Amino acid sequence: MSTVLTQGIINVTSDCRACDHCTSICPTGAISGLLGQRHKIDHNLCINCGQCLINCPFGRIEDASMVDLVKKALADPSKFVIVQEAPAVRVALGEEFGLEPGTNVKNKMYAALRRLGFKKVYDTEFTADLTIMEEGTELIGRVYGALGVKGYENKGPLPQFTSCCPAWIKYAEDKYPKIIPYLSTAKSPQQMFGAISKTYLPTKLNVNPANIYSVSVMPCTAKKAECNRPEFISSGYQDVDAVITTRELAALIKEKGIDFNKLPAEEADKFIGASTGAATIFGVSGGVMEAALRTAYEILSGSTLDEVDLKAVRGLQSVREASVEIPVKALGKALPVNVAIVTGTKHVDKLIEDVLAGRSKYHFIEVMNCPGGCINGGGQPIRREMH
Amino acid sequence: MVVGSPSEEKCIRREIKMKFFGEREGMTRRQFFKGAGMLTVSAIFLGAFSKLGFDAFAASTDYIEKRAAGLYALDEKMAIRKSHENPEIAQIYKDFLSPGEVKPVSEKAHHLLHTKYGKDIPNFITELKSKQNEAA
Repeated sequence: MSTVLTQGIINVTSDCRACDHCTSICPTGAISGLLGQRHKIDHNLCINCGQCLINCPFGRIEDASMVDLVKKALADPSKFVIVQEAPAVRVALGEEFGLEPGTNVKNKMYAALRRLGFKKVYDTEFTADLTIMEEGTELIGRVYGALGVKGYENKGPLPQFTSCCPAWIKYAEDKYPKIIPYLSTAKSPQQMFGAISKTYLPTKLNVNPANIYSVSVMPCTAKKAECNRPEFISSGYQDVDAVITTRELAALIKEKGIDFNKLPAEEADKFIGASTGAATIFGVSGGVMEAALRTAYEILSGSTLDEVDLKAVRGLQSVREASVEIPVKALGKALPVNVAIVTGTKHVDKLIEDVLAGRSKYHFIEVMNCPGGCINGGGQPIRREMH
Repeated sequence: MVVGSPSEEKCIRREIKMKFFGEREGMTRRQFFKGAGMLTVSAIFLGAFSKLGFDAFAASTDYIEKRAAGLYALDEKMAIRKSHENPEIAQIYKDFLSPGEVKPVSEKAHHLLHTKYGKDIPNFITELKSKQNEAA
């Protein structure tokens, strides 16, 4: 199977049991097939989220793999292979080695990646923080623009939608092209990492960017399509070269014969490896919102946020909303910021229709395709015994 | 039927029994076993299905909740919990994205960290490539 794909990541195998369970899972109605017939995925409609894959009771749905590309790069001495890992990977990878769901294996994961041959081990959480800086600044610009503050004209309409989730982005592009001006222009943390790993990083390490091979470990199958999108070349190269999932990383560790549970605790490498708690919660629904509010509050008010835990935006319900009062120093008044969080793309339609009809009261809307957020992504360990 | 015969006695006994059980019709051994058997089988199936169904539902959100709790616990343990306080974030702006200061959405940040969507992509790619040719 081709490894350079911008769509067609998810496929039903030829021995489909035709139980029809996947058609009820698919958020876009991309899967068709009568009860008793092999099912088919329409790749134009599919948003590559892999929810059908992790929920197939017979394990008959597969994702395209870039593992061979990664192995080839690791074996090539001319390549400087580096790696980033998404927040959600660290609380699920341990499940493949007999640990309880939710066990944090971040430091063992760094150790395992070094033993697999990666020259430098960084963290997507660094670019999650960078996303907050860029996306947060963009949001403040749009809010000031809507309030008529001078110097903030043409900053874009409100509400602003998050843009971290590639499944949600494809859904918006395919089904609601009119909502595109409302999407944050900030790249996802994965793609920001790709861009700086071949521009900023070479200046720090004195490495030729042409030799850098940038790998990403994701809880997500849609990230495989995202890294191959033709516009992600701002570094002058393909920004992220290959994506492997949490499951594929676990398989690589086992194949190499590494005793994962006995690995020492290691840290990420410097320059683009430091992370914060705000970046860690990107992996759960509501986390991007919470991280953005922590930073927006402090920057706009000029004072310290004492209660860091913003419990109002947490939870696993499909649609949640909250209103946060932020005292804005520059305006000399408090501003109520209305936010909404959607998990499960199926549930976003009503909010979008309200926005397009001019009825939306929100300033910022977070959308994550997978129920619960990236922790339940299509690339995570499969808990099929539970279904 | 001969009066006083053993079969007549049986008949009378059955009538008494029927009265004892109220209005219910008489039930043969065979009918009793059939009914009891059907009840048992359906009880087993009901029990099994409700248990299975309940477990599958409970478990399917259980592991999601545990992974979520894992991330929130890790957040609480982190020394720094706000993105703008990440020292390497300040460094990348000062050293590279907006030299000398921390200024998000600077020209370089805009070029490297922002994108376009849908029908705007083809022109965006042309723009990116021409910029790269200029730089080269």
